Amino acid sequence: MPINLRTPQAETREQRLGTITQWDGSAAQLARDSAFTFGCGRDCGPGGRRLCELSSPYSQASMCAEQIAVTNATIIRDTVVIQHAPIGCASSQSFTSRYSRDLAARRGWKPEDPRSICTNLGEQDMVFGGVERLADTIRDAYERHHPRVIFVATSCATGIIGDDVDGTARQLEEEIGIPVVPLHCEGFKSRHWSSGWDVIEHGILRRLVPHRPDDKNPDLINVIHLGGPDVFSPLLNPLGLEVNLVMGGNPLERLAALSTAAATVTMCFVLSYLATGLEQEYGVPEIRAPLPYGLDASDNWLRDIARVTGRTHLVEAVIASERARIAPELDRLRRLLKGKKGFVAAGAAFAHGLIADLRELGVTVDDAYSFHHDPSTDSGDPEQDSLGHLVQTTGDVRNFTVSPDQHFQAHAALKRARPDFVICRHSGTMAVLAARMGIPVLPIFYSNDGIGYDGLLTIGRAILRVLPRRRFYEDVEAHSAFPYRREWLEETDPFALEAAE
Amino acid sequence: MSRKPKQIAIYGKGGIGKSTTTSNISAALAEAGYKVMQFGCDPKADSTTTLRGGEYIPSVLDLLAEKRRVDAREAVFKGFAGIYCVEAGGPAPGVGCAGRGIITAVELLKQQRVFEDLDLDFVIYDVLGDVVCGGFAVPVREGIAEHVFTVSSADFMAIYAANNLFRGIEKFSNSGGALLGGIIANSINTDFQREIIEDFAAKTSTPIVQFVPRSLTVTQAELSGKTTIEAAPQSEQADVYRALARHIAGHEQSKVPTPLSQTELRDWSASWAEHIVQMERAERARAVA
Repeated sequence: MPINLRTPQAETREQRLGTITQWDGSAAQLARDSAFTFGCGRDCGPGGRRLCELSSPYSQASMCAEQIAVTNATIIRDTVVIQHAPIGCASSQSFTSRYSRDLAARRGWKPEDPRSICTNLGEQDMVFGGVERLADTIRDAYERHHPRVIFVATSCATGIIGDDVDGTARQLEEEIGIPVVPLHCEGFKSRHWSSGWDVIEHGILRRLVPHRPDDKNPDLINVIHLGGPDVFSPLLNPLGLEVNLVMGGNPLERLAALSTAAATVTMCFVLSYLATGLEQEYGVPEIRAPLPYGLDASDNWLRDIARVTGRTHLVEAVIASERARIAPELDRLRRLLKGKKGFVAAGAAFAHGLIADLRELGVTVDDAYSFHHDPSTDSGDPEQDSLGHLVQTTGDVRNFTVSPDQHFQAHAALKRARPDFVICRHSGTMAVLAARMGIPVLPIFYSNDGIGYDGLLTIGRAILRVLPRRRFYEDVEAHSAFPYRREWLEETDPFALEAAE
Repeated sequence: MSRKPKQIAIYGKGGIGKSTTTSNISAALAEAGYKVMQFGCDPKADSTTTLRGGEYIPSVLDLLAEKRRVDAREAVFKGFAGIYCVEAGGPAPGVGCAGRGIITAVELLKQQRVFEDLDLDFVIYDVLGDVVCGGFAVPVREGIAEHVFTVSSADFMAIYAANNLFRGIEKFSNSGGALLGGIIANSINTDFQREIIEDFAAKTSTPIVQFVPRSLTVTQAELSGKTTIEAAPQSEQADVYRALARHIAGHEQSKVPTPLSQTELRDWSASWAEHIVQMERAERARAVA
């Protein structure tokens, strides 16, 4: 079903894609059970049976979709984000501020504090409605900061009392004359934080991407990423393509150019809502080739981009030169990493990519931990079945756990895996846990690190830096204790609690 | 691209005959050949029962409680003359948040483009009582209903509820919300009742689109699980509903309501109370004489 941009609220990932957050088994089984297998004609038989989600008796920790949406709106320059919420929702903005400065340093931008205001709703507002306070805050934000765009992020509280945020935003937009973009962030709507990407991308698609049919630029390619250094230009410039990098704090001009590009690629299919929407609304083709993790996938990714943008005559030379350039160091890394056992923990398509990278480097990966699983993507194209592609090209992952950062489940999964090292996103949970279990860990904050040919080198070098620190991690383990019973400390089934019920 | 259906919301105090009136409007429109959906926005989920032979249907929120991924079309049931029946549903009395229930249910149908896909002529929302919170205002906000009608009797409590509704509509009218189509005066059998409701309509400059008398035919039809249009198509009452439906089908121009303030409403009802007392005294005096 196409993306519905007529309604101000994005449909949740669970509804659109059938996203799950709890599962355990082999990667091959998960790929087979996911909807993508239906009718795709691959080696999985008829497939397409309904994906059965496991349940967990409790959650220890998680994250809110609101944080993803609000953080990614706040870091866009020349904007102000208004969180229409009780003050607690604004607690994540200290992270946003640090993130914004770090991004600025890495991208060579002038470091400045991002601007956001919380309406600080209280008891009175819950009873009498908070839209007047919101209207005043929008006016204040405009007068104080003169932004070019104001985002208004809703909250659980305003969602329940039914504040008419869309109506207020529209009224104020007329009054102050700049776009006021509502982001419907009620955390209770989705069980997974990645829905926050859909929320911000929905807002961008609806309001910040003008239709510019006369400004088509055949050399421009949109790259949607989570944030971090631009590793894409070195890869795509040799094809004569100019990169329009969006999200990750990139400016409004970049968003305004989205509809003029020749194609869009997404560095992680978890973010592909925007790419699919651009194809649907403006006819900008979405590159659907499997993501560029590992040599063959990187080759094919470049070939697909070249095909769609009409540069096939250039691509083989670029591929050959890239391969030749990294070959000596790749050989060295493979020799040093041979026989090592890695454990990957990351979000869906990104986890699949890291597993492919590690396997390309000669690392054994029998265990992985994905923060959620999307059985489909918005395009519905089986080409984007990154898990199926991983299994098909590099083999099964014996123990593939889906769990949203649950510490107790990750503990059991790591106990089962006994890896030589862990490579992970979300360092607050996974990296700290692995370290306290005495396992060398490579936390990745900027998820572009593993992309393309250079990504293999970046990841390989980083692992080699981490492996010799085993003694340090063993010391950390010796001084760590977990709040679990003895049985759980020995448990190797992340879902043993469900089995016991 | 499918056409945009005409979307109408019908509000009124609980027990005033709102669902009865709405179902008869739907039935009369369907009888006239239109494609109609009736959307019940009341946690009791009983708006469409007389369109379904007295049978209750599972609500959108029932489905959402059962599974996380819902095809909203599973909550659409065909009733009398092919009317599409949907109930938002909601929590049991005293728990949860019925207003949020309406937000969730309406949003789900909108996101899944159910209204467009069914290629409807009319969507009629039957909404519970007063606009007690933001959730109950959802059908009158921008992008949903365009015209609101209120069902009211000459009972003061029903008129208070209507006036409250006017205030809600007035609030949203600045931001592209629905506008007021008029009053459906229900259970009006005496001149006296007619005078009260006409006076309120005049004071708020609101048109009365139809007077609907109280009738045993309606009760009999309801008890057999049917609308009057279905159970007694030849009756006078059925013709009243047909006239009402014709009016609504042809209705184009709604307006920003001009509700009475709290004080004005109090003074207005007090003046009527005094008038009633005087009339009763005169009546008694006549009886004694």
